[in-house]
Amino acid sequence: MESGNGGGGGKEGDLSGEMEVDAYRRLFPLRFYERHLLESVRPDARPLAHARDTSLALGAVATADGSALAKIGCTTMLAGIKLEVMTPSTDSPDEGCIAIEFYMPPICSPIVRPGRPAEVAPVIAKQLSDVILSSGMVNLKELSLISGKAAWMAYLDIYCLDADGALFDAALLSAVAAFSHLHLPPVSVNDDGRVVTMSKEQVEGNSAKEPVNKERRKLTLNSIPFSLTCILYKKYILVDPTAEEESIMESLVTVVLDTSGRLVSLYKPGGTVLAYTSTIQDCVALTRQRVKELRKILNEALVDMEVD
Amino acid sequence: MAGKSASAPMTYNPSPPTQKKKQKQPIFQDVDWVRADDRGFHQCRPAFMRSGAVNAASGSAYAEFGNTKVIVSIFGPRESKKAMMYSDIGRLNCSVSFTTFSTQTRGQGSDHKEFSSMLHKALEGAVILESFPKTTVDIFALVLESGGSDLPVIISCASLALADAGIMMFDLVTSVSVSCLGKNLVIDPTSEEESDQDGSFMISCMPSRNEVTQLTITGEWSTSKIHEAMELCLDACSKLGKIMRTSIILSITSNSCLYCKNSGIKRRGLEALEQMECLELGVTKPHLTLLTTPRIQPTQPDP
Repeated sequence: MESGNGGGGGKEGDLSGEMEVDAYRRLFPLRFYERHLLESVRPDARPLAHARDTSLALGAVATADGSALAKIGCTTMLAGIKLEVMTPSTDSPDEGCIAIEFYMPPICSPIVRPGRPAEVAPVIAKQLSDVILSSGMVNLKELSLISGKAAWMAYLDIYCLDADGALFDAALLSAVAAFSHLHLPPVSVNDDGRVVTMSKEQVEGNSAKEPVNKERRKLTLNSIPFSLTCILYKKYILVDPTAEEESIMESLVTVVLDTSGRLVSLYKPGGTVLAYTSTIQDCVALTRQRVKELRKILNEALVDMEVD
Repeated sequence: MAGKSASAPMTYNPSPPTQKKKQKQPIFQDVDWVRADDRGFHQCRPAFMRSGAVNAASGSAYAEFGNTKVIVSIFGPRESKKAMMYSDIGRLNCSVSFTTFSTQTRGQGSDHKEFSSMLHKALEGAVILESFPKTTVDIFALVLESGGSDLPVIISCASLALADAGIMMFDLVTSVSVSCLGKNLVIDPTSEEESDQDGSFMISCMPSRNEVTQLTITGEWSTSKIHEAMELCLDACSKLGKIMRTSIILSITSNSCLYCKNSGIKRRGLEALEQMECLELGVTKPHLTLLTTPRIQPTQPDP
C-alpha cells in the first residue's frame, strides 16, 4: 500500500470525495500532503516556512546545576547538567570537559520500548556533541578550577519527553538553554585534597577556606548555535517537520548556524531528493530567520528567570 | 575534543559527604521540631497533577509533589510480545526509570530496580484486565527529579495516565507514604526525611471503593503507630483522589475547546483547578508549566 500511494493518483483522487479525512490521511498520506502543499499550507494550519510554537523554561530541575525544558510544538526535551570534578589531562591542564548524552526513554514515543532503544538516539547524541564542542560556545578554560589539578566535568544529559519531529532542533535548544542557566558552585579544597562545594554561609562568613573559583558563577557563552530542520519534497521546503511529515517525506536537511551567522554544521542524511545548491541556500536563509527567533526566545527566558 | 570525553576520566561529586546524619538525628527524637519546608507533620507537599503531558502516547500524566517530578506515558492496548503465552486477559507492562540528574549524585536513580514491579503490583488490582484480552498496556514512568516519596507519586500519576488513556479501571489508585522519625509520623516525606527515617509506611488504595491494592511497611513499628499511619494515609489518599478526579474533568473540558489555544480559557481553567485544590492539599502552580498545556488539535482543511 505504501508504494502505491505516491504515483497514479486517478483512483485515489476519486475516492477522496467519499472518504473521511482521517481515513484518507492514513491510507494515502503522500496524496493527502500533496493536496495541502498545492495550497501552500500544512495539515496543522501552518504555512510551509513557519516553525511551530517554541517555548523554553529554565531551571526546571533543582537537582541539576543547570537545566532547561524546551518545547517545539509537541516535541519536548529536558536537558540537565551535572558538574563533577576531574583531574584534567596532561596535554590540556587548564581545561574542563563536556560529556553529552541523548536519551529517548520509552515514554517519548510508541516506537521505543525498554530494551529496544531508538536508532536515532545515538545519531542525535553524536550530532549534538559535534555541534556543541566544535561551535566553541563554551570556553573549556572556564571550566578549569586549579590548573593541572582539578577541573569541572560537565555531564549534559538530554531526555526526549515527547517525540514529534525535529528532535535535533529541540535537543540543541534545550542544551544551549541549560548551559546558559548553568551555575558554577563555589568550591574549596579540603584537607584530603578533594574539591568540596561550599554552602552560602561558608562563602559569606569568613570561613577558614577561600573559595577556589571566586569570580566565576556563570559561563560566558560566545556564538550560541541554533538549528533548523527542513524537509525537501519536490519543489517545496517544509520547515520544522512533525513526526508524521518526517515519516512520509524522507529528505531532511539540518542547518546549524551560530548567532554571528556562521555555518556550524550542515547535515543531509541521504533521502530521495537531490538537494540543489539553491535549495540549500534557501534552507540556510530560513535558518538565519529562525536563529533570530530562537535567540529572542532564549533571551526572554533568561530575563524571566532573573525576574523570578 | 570528542576523544577526550570518550576516554571518561574519573570524576567525583563535590558536594560534601552526608556526615550530618549523626547531628540531625537528635532533632527528630524531640517532639517539637520543624520540618525543613515548614510543613506540619500531617501536611502533604503542594501537589500538581495534570493528564495529557505527552502527545505521542495514548495517555499520559505529569505529577509534581514538591520537588518530586514524574511523567508517565501509557501505550496500548497493543500486541503482546511474540514470546508471550496466549492469555484471556490483558497484561500490564510497567517500567520506571530515572533521569541521570534526578538525584543529588549523578546516576543514583538506577538504584530503584524494584519500583517497576511495585508499580505493577499496585495497579494490577485496579485495572479491568478482561477489557483488553490478548494485548498489553505499557506503563512507562520517568522520574525527572527525585525529591522523596517517589513511588507513591509514580503510582498515583500512573493511574491518572491510565484514566487519560481510557483504560477501564475499577477506580483510580492513589498512594501516599508516611515516615516514622523518632516519635513522630510525617506524611509525604522528602528525600532528606526519608534518608533519616526509622521506618516507612506506604499504602496504595482505591478511595471510592475503600480497597487497598498495596501496603508496604518497613522498619520498626508499634501496632498503635501502624493504626495512626494507616488512618493518616487513607485520609490523604481520598483527598488525593478528589484532586485527580478534578484534573481529569479539567483536562476533558479544556481539550474540548480546541480553538482557545491562546485565549484566556486555559488560564482560567488552571486557576479554577487551583482554587478547588487549595481547599484540599494546598496546590501551587507547577514548576514545569510547559508540560501541562492542554493538547491542541490541529484544524484540518478538507483534502
